[in-house]
Amino acid sequence: MTSRALAWRTVAASPARALLAVAGVAVIGALLFDMLLLSHGLLISFRDLLDSAGYDVRVIASDDPPAARIPITHADALIADISRLPEVQEIAAVRWDRALAIVSGRPAEGVTLISATVGAERKAWRIINGENLVAAGGTREPPPLVVSMRFAEALGLKVGSALGMRTTMFGAASAIPPVMFRVVGVAEFDFEPPGDLMAATTIDAFRRVHAGRGQDNADVVVIASRPPFGPDDAVTAINHLRPDLHAYSNAQLVTHFDQNGFAYFRQISFVLSSVTLGFAFLLIATLLTMSVNQRLSEMAALRALGFPRRRIVATLLWESTMLVGVGGLLALPLGGLLAFELDHILRAMPGIPERLHFFVLEPRAVVLHVGLLAATGLGAAAYPIWVAARLPIAATLRRETVS
Amino acid sequence: MTTIVEGRHLTREFPMPAGPVVALRDVSIEINPGAYVAVTGPSGCGKSTLLHLLGCVDAPTDGSLLFEGRDVARLTDSERSRIRLTRIGFVFQRFFLMPMLSAWENVELPQAEIGIRPADRRARTRELLEYVDLIDRGHHRPSQLSGGEMQRVAIARALANRPALLLADEPTGELDEDTGEQVADLFDRVHADGTAIVVVTHNPVLATRAERRLMMKRGTVVHS
Repeated sequence: MTSRALAWRTVAASPARALLAVAGVAVIGALLFDMLLLSHGLLISFRDLLDSAGYDVRVIASDDPPAARIPITHADALIADISRLPEVQEIAAVRWDRALAIVSGRPAEGVTLISATVGAERKAWRIINGENLVAAGGTREPPPLVVSMRFAEALGLKVGSALGMRTTMFGAASAIPPVMFRVVGVAEFDFEPPGDLMAATTIDAFRRVHAGRGQDNADVVVIASRPPFGPDDAVTAINHLRPDLHAYSNAQLVTHFDQNGFAYFRQISFVLSSVTLGFAFLLIATLLTMSVNQRLSEMAALRALGFPRRRIVATLLWESTMLVGVGGLLALPLGGLLAFELDHILRAMPGIPERLHFFVLEPRAVVLHVGLLAATGLGAAAYPIWVAARLPIAATLRRETVS
Repeated sequence: MTTIVEGRHLTREFPMPAGPVVALRDVSIEINPGAYVAVTGPSGCGKSTLLHLLGCVDAPTDGSLLFEGRDVARLTDSERSRIRLTRIGFVFQRFFLMPMLSAWENVELPQAEIGIRPADRRARTRELLEYVDLIDRGHHRPSQLSGGEMQRVAIARALANRPALLLADEPTGELDEDTGEQVADLFDRVHADGTAIVVVTHNPVLATRAERRLMMKRGTVVHS
């Protein structure tokens, strides 16, 4: 009988103990798996979100990307200058601001109004119903407006509906009169936070809402680098052209956020992963040590019958592998389910874009989960294995017989 | 005829917080092929300690032990394990069968360990279970057997690899008188088949079956 078969028979002989061990490892493993998903999930999701927009460089006025509310002035000239760089293939200016949406018979709703250079809109939002700004005739009156699904549902809007937009100053409606819009499309916005409503219009209409205030401004200028140049080459060229501004590639932005905004999650994840691994270690070590202590007479008898130490060690290692292996495998779907629920809760926080996730399933996390659990299982099995391997045969047999 | 095991001036001390306890003091013994030796004496006189030394599961503090001419003190742990597996059979007072295995599997276990082919293992296991009259209980686990049946399975297991020496430590200690007698009969048959036996016992019936009796007291052999 192989060590594996002997271990299996031992595990199967105590189903309650085995189930308890597997359940414990599965629950702890699920928490560990979630912490691993959390440690990089936000970054992966953020990177995907940036990449999905189709631009790999962003230019902002402030060195602090999250704020990014210091506008870039003379944006038209900047776009003209940058678009002449050989490293740049495509460029667009994006503006956004808070506004009040006014629909007759309903209270005014605060919304985020954005606009982008013609052509960029196809990357910033996806039309689900109706048409996009240019197709709808960006110069026709009243100006076109694409609204998010949530916006449409909240204000009972559909393609063809009319509504007014008024800019806000410090959270209150400004004295500037509202501009009337017609809804031409309903779209999905990548960066729409769950608690917010979003709408997009043309640059001209956006300027009209602001009555010419900050006419030639942009909140961010987005750039697609030209192959074979990469984003790093484009960033270098832009920083050389306009050292007063700040250009970041997507990778740099991710790194920047990783070191600042997201470090919090990574640290939490690291601490909780360590605690979880500690619990896993204690659980496995306790269960195996108890199991070994209950079977000292069996092991001493096996040794007396001539079974070498390595056989006892191998049997215990298999036993540990079975309990940790099955528990670890069960931890994956359990952790996935838990991650889904936790992600749902965390994404309900205000200001989180719709497509940003805290828990992202990635092969690296699965490999790390398996590796960490395996190492923990081996480490935790070390003490009971040492006890079993160093068992004094005669003394144990004597003690077990007397007891 | 080579002596199976020969102990010279065997002494075994156990270190204790209050000072060392001498369990065996200057005992010399020789077990030849086909011998049947009973070791008797009061509890704590060193019988089991002597048996453990003869079975290479313990080492003497002083003296020397030769197993089939090899100095046991010079052997590695795995070499001693190999001797126990192939040349010695152990029968314990509390049987120590593997509870998760059937009687059949318990008897097969030592054979599998030395790599006997499955077909040969099956034949030998059948032979042994018939020998101890338990062939119809082969698929039963130890918990489904009586004490006498468990001890017979343990004897079959001890004989699995055709040992030269069978060591039994109080083999009837957990059994009633009738069942103990059945076990004693079984030992007689094992002895008649040519296996040397050393049995430690308080059971006078079992002791009288042996060809030679050693009486121990306070760690020494007082009568042979």
